[in-house]
Amino acid sequence: MSLFNCTVAAAWVLAASSVSLAQSAPPVSVNRNSLVIADFDKRVDEYVKLRKRVQGALPAVKSKTTAANIKQYELSLAQAIRAQRSQAKAGDIFTPPVSQLFRQLIATPLQSSQGGRVRASLRDAEPVHGLNLAVNQPYPQDSAMQSTPPSLLLNLPRLPAELEYRIVGRELVLLDTAADLIVDLLPEALPALQGESAKQ
Amino acid sequence: MRICISSLLICLAFAGCALQASPESLPPADATNQTLLAFAGQSAASAPPSGALPLTLPLKPKSVRFAVIGDNGTGDKPEFDVAREMEAYRQVVDFTFVIMLGDNIYGRHNPRDFAKKFEEPYKPLLDAGVKFYASLGNHDHPEERQYEPFHMGGERYYSFKKSDVTFFVLDSSYMNQEQLTWLEQQLRDASSDWKICYFHHPLYSDGKFHGPDLDLRSVLTPLFQKYGVNVVFSGHEHIYERLKPQNDIYYFVLGNSGQLRYHNLRRSQQMEVGFDTDRDFMLVEIDKDDLYFQTISRTGATIDSGVLARQSHSSNREQSQK
Repeated sequence: MSLFNCTVAAAWVLAASSVSLAQSAPPVSVNRNSLVIADFDKRVDEYVKLRKRVQGALPAVKSKTTAANIKQYELSLAQAIRAQRSQAKAGDIFTPPVSQLFRQLIATPLQSSQGGRVRASLRDAEPVHGLNLAVNQPYPQDSAMQSTPPSLLLNLPRLPAELEYRIVGRELVLLDTAADLIVDLLPEALPALQGESAKQ
Repeated sequence: MRICISSLLICLAFAGCALQASPESLPPADATNQTLLAFAGQSAASAPPSGALPLTLPLKPKSVRFAVIGDNGTGDKPEFDVAREMEAYRQVVDFTFVIMLGDNIYGRHNPRDFAKKFEEPYKPLLDAGVKFYASLGNHDHPEERQYEPFHMGGERYYSFKKSDVTFFVLDSSYMNQEQLTWLEQQLRDASSDWKICYFHHPLYSDGKFHGPDLDLRSVLTPLFQKYGVNVVFSGHEHIYERLKPQNDIYYFVLGNSGQLRYHNLRRSQQMEVGFDTDRDFMLVEIDKDDLYFQTISRTGATIDSGVLARQSHSSNREQSQK
């Protein structure tokens, strides 16, 4: 092998290694986001563990299939969770770093090339405004649940079956569906849409 | 693709008095529209004929027959009127189940609401053993999935099979990754001749109030096309629409079985038939490769009817999967 060939070969090896290194070292912000999401997942897990503990202590319901039994179970579960989380407040799960990241994750599909259709879906989803929502309180029974555009939903961390994200106006609500209980709230999660008051 | 559809058929002569009218007082059957005169109570063992109903379904032996309602759960008089008309037709058509396109219970969800907005209006159907299979709308509480008369098996999304027809029931208010993964697997594994999806938010609509959900369309239609879905039913818009086939899939919107948005249609090229001046429900009969449908207003007028041929893509795609 000539010196030139050896030099070229060495240069290729070096170049390949540097590309490989560059690929295996993600940007700092990605690492930071992973940590924030891990923290969010941990807080959600803690809630689910508490909920399962509370659920296990509830008196057995013969059947959850009649309207009366569904309601009774919902109220008992909510009451028991509320008692165990009496100090819960907004921001316990949507901590400031989580809130900041979620606002970014929600804004991304809205600002993408598909943003128009996501905004249209939000506008047409019978937006719910003016509700006084609070942690540990039920979602108002006679208010519709605003649907969440899939593109937006698919960009957020997955949740266990017990919890759902719900958009309410510009807020993001973490909802325990079986207990009909608001677990946490993220204000101004959505950027103000065109033609919409910033205070809505 | 063979589509044989009778165009808008409004039997105003029957309006409001179909059950009371004597056969002699009815106009003659319209052969071109395949309209038959059937007698209420004809197929019920105990009930004697009490009147005539215009019927376009062929009532073939061993066919799959069901009714469709959407946005019904108001507990108001129009919901009761539609339910009464459904029961009259059940006695003739003998449909055994009803699919619900969401907004099953509006407003509060106390036990009294389930009684007033569902159990009382549909009592004759429930007493006759008709099963209701609900999907969730934006006015529904997610825990309706536990309510036994809705047959959701405790799930927000589920599937069920009747003969050679598989129904895929989706929660379009909350289309997350888990649901999309589940849907793809279910569609891929289904070997039925007919694949029918239903959910609340329409992917195509000429309704002025909402219009189509474009974001939902972008995630669902690729799956529908890939796995050969034949028919899609949705509600949400409080009107009736039959769209022209979109990418060889039939789309219906029926969101006026209780609610109504009067004159809310903005007709475009994609619409085949629309109705926005009263409530209605739909009857469907599937026999081999044909789907017969008849949409009936709460006054008994037939506002749309026809027969749709099963698309060739469904069998081809099933074969390609195998």
